[in-house]
Amino acid sequence: MLYQCGTGAVRNGRCGKPNTPSLRWGRGGRGGLIVLLLLCLFRSGAARAGEADSVQLLRPVNAMFTAEVGHARVLDTYLTPIAYSGTHLALGYTATQATGFAPHRWTRQLSLEASYAPARNPAHNRTLHTLMAEGGWSLMHRWPGWRPGVNVLLGGSTRLRAGAVYNPSGSNNVVSAHIHWSVGAAGMIVWSTRLRRVPVTLSYSMTLPVAGVFFSPEYDESFYEIYLGNHSHLAHFGWWGNRFDLDHRLSLDLHLGGTIVRVGYHGRFEQSWVSHLDTKFSTHALVIGIGGDFLSIPRRGINPKAKIINGL
Amino acid sequence: MLTPHKVVAASRNCALKYCAWSMVHCALLLLMASCHDEPEQRPDTPQGNFDALWTIIDEHYPFFADKQVDWQAVGDHYRQLLTDDMTSQELFDVCSDMLKELRDGHTNLIASHDVSRYWIWEQYPVNYDERLIDEHYLNFNYRRASGIKYALLDNNYGYMYYASFASPVGEGNLDLVLNHLATADGLIIDVRSNGGGYLTNVETLVGRFIDERTYVGSIQHKTGPGHDDFSQPFDYYFEPTKNHIHYQKPVVVLANRGSFSATNNFVSIMKHLPQVTVVGDTTGGGSGLPFTSELPNGWNVRFSSCPVRDPGGQVTEHGVPPDVRVDQSAADTPQGRDTLLETAFAILARKR
Repeated sequence: MLYQCGTGAVRNGRCGKPNTPSLRWGRGGRGGLIVLLLLCLFRSGAARAGEADSVQLLRPVNAMFTAEVGHARVLDTYLTPIAYSGTHLALGYTATQATGFAPHRWTRQLSLEASYAPARNPAHNRTLHTLMAEGGWSLMHRWPGWRPGVNVLLGGSTRLRAGAVYNPSGSNNVVSAHIHWSVGAAGMIVWSTRLRRVPVTLSYSMTLPVAGVFFSPEYDESFYEIYLGNHSHLAHFGWWGNRFDLDHRLSLDLHLGGTIVRVGYHGRFEQSWVSHLDTKFSTHALVIGIGGDFLSIPRRGINPKAKIINGL
Repeated sequence: MLTPHKVVAASRNCALKYCAWSMVHCALLLLMASCHDEPEQRPDTPQGNFDALWTIIDEHYPFFADKQVDWQAVGDHYRQLLTDDMTSQELFDVCSDMLKELRDGHTNLIASHDVSRYWIWEQYPVNYDERLIDEHYLNFNYRRASGIKYALLDNNYGYMYYASFASPVGEGNLDLVLNHLATADGLIIDVRSNGGGYLTNVETLVGRFIDERTYVGSIQHKTGPGHDDFSQPFDYYFEPTKNHIHYQKPVVVLANRGSFSATNNFVSIMKHLPQVTVVGDTTGGGSGLPFTSELPNGWNVRFSSCPVRDPGGQVTEHGVPPDVRVDQSAADTPQGRDTLLETAFAILARKR
């Protein structure tokens, strides 16, 4: 079970602010820990039983729910040689947490996203509908940066992205399916500071798939032929010789008590060229989000000397 | 004072800065290195739209060699008719005339004001009069299941008319139809003027007339923009429908020039079944699965793609010839007689 963990210290006899400077409840602020406070009271007996000399490590999950709106450009020559432009809409979720192993040095991140882009042709008489879903998981090493409050994260990621582009005016090429699994690099630069009295986190993150596997029919291959059983040449090894993807975000997180409000930019560039078919998707979106740091309370409760390690 | 600790810290800071900037630089370099030029976006001008149309057909159309069409020469001829100030209708007419050179019923230019076409069956005898059959053979007394009109005729032959393969036909519907016609001495499947539809409905229907996994043809597709870029033909098979009624008695399929596209495919498959006789006219063809593309001005172009061959290995783009060639007799029509249907009766009578 997850409970919200704020950005301040817990003031409670058994879960109070410890004297040790190593304890960090998020990135500043002292309010908004009501849920955790109640939980600490509720679990105080267990916490007492769990008091031990060893330092207990708590790893809150930085969870953000986001919504995006922006511009999309879609080119899929299996459907049409014309590039379409339109609106990009997306809902996303990211969960960032220090890892169970070596939590001081490693961070893991789960991201989920569903997007929809209705795009019009230049003549404004036809619409392509792009519906995509994506799940990604990253594992990054965390280094303290060149100045206080700055962290640099670098590691690897794997992503599965699937969806379809639907052309209502098509015939046997009415839809273009897209499935892409990739592994690649992931990186973040995180700067935690204050804007007047408000703790803020400015971060830039990027994922760069390097290799993977993706689906593409051949040049004029119909899905009916695939349905009949011709499955040859559908799976392609993806590398920078036949596709290039880049996903990056610039985010400003405002820590308002126990709530984190996010404003940011999300850009995605996705291009493939295989079997004489070209696909190119690019989006630029404004991101707004809300979330917080959530803590899963151990069964034995929280030790007063517990040490909290954030993944960012 | 410079201490070893400070030196280590400074080195670490430098390394981190270097790492961060390298990450950004690498991303930019990779972005530049991996950029792939996308296809040219042509302007929305008469020339741009014409070139877009010509290129789409040039790169995707599969029957140039089969129809002996010199597409380069066709393009050169019609390109001379372009002017910068021509109206949209004039451009449409030029483009339509160019597409008609392909002699392909699957190839259309679709604008908001018109659809160009090469309806080959308009040039041939219709050989089908629905009213005549309804009045003189069915007595307006027939059943209809899904898209199939059916009846047990007075001479104890079953008759079913399937007007469009676009009409969904379910296994339950077919069970009802075939159960009703089970006592008939033979079955007539009338697909005259059936302009096609979904090939999956072909599979559903054929599945009732085969008893084992049956080779029904092959399909190809273009693998690139070159005129000779084709995949190897992929052989495909239909399975008999399991746990449903099958029809084992003699069957006659009635076809005309209006039997096009998916219907053409249906007739080509049924013709190769031993208990089936095809009667009527050569089908309309349309063996290529149509694809759709688009011009800069928003006009759609539909064209044949993915050639389908019959079980004999023949491309049926030009139609499937019948086993028994019959046209509607001018003398029969006033008497309320369907010549093709009467021929079917005679064939079934011989097979009794």
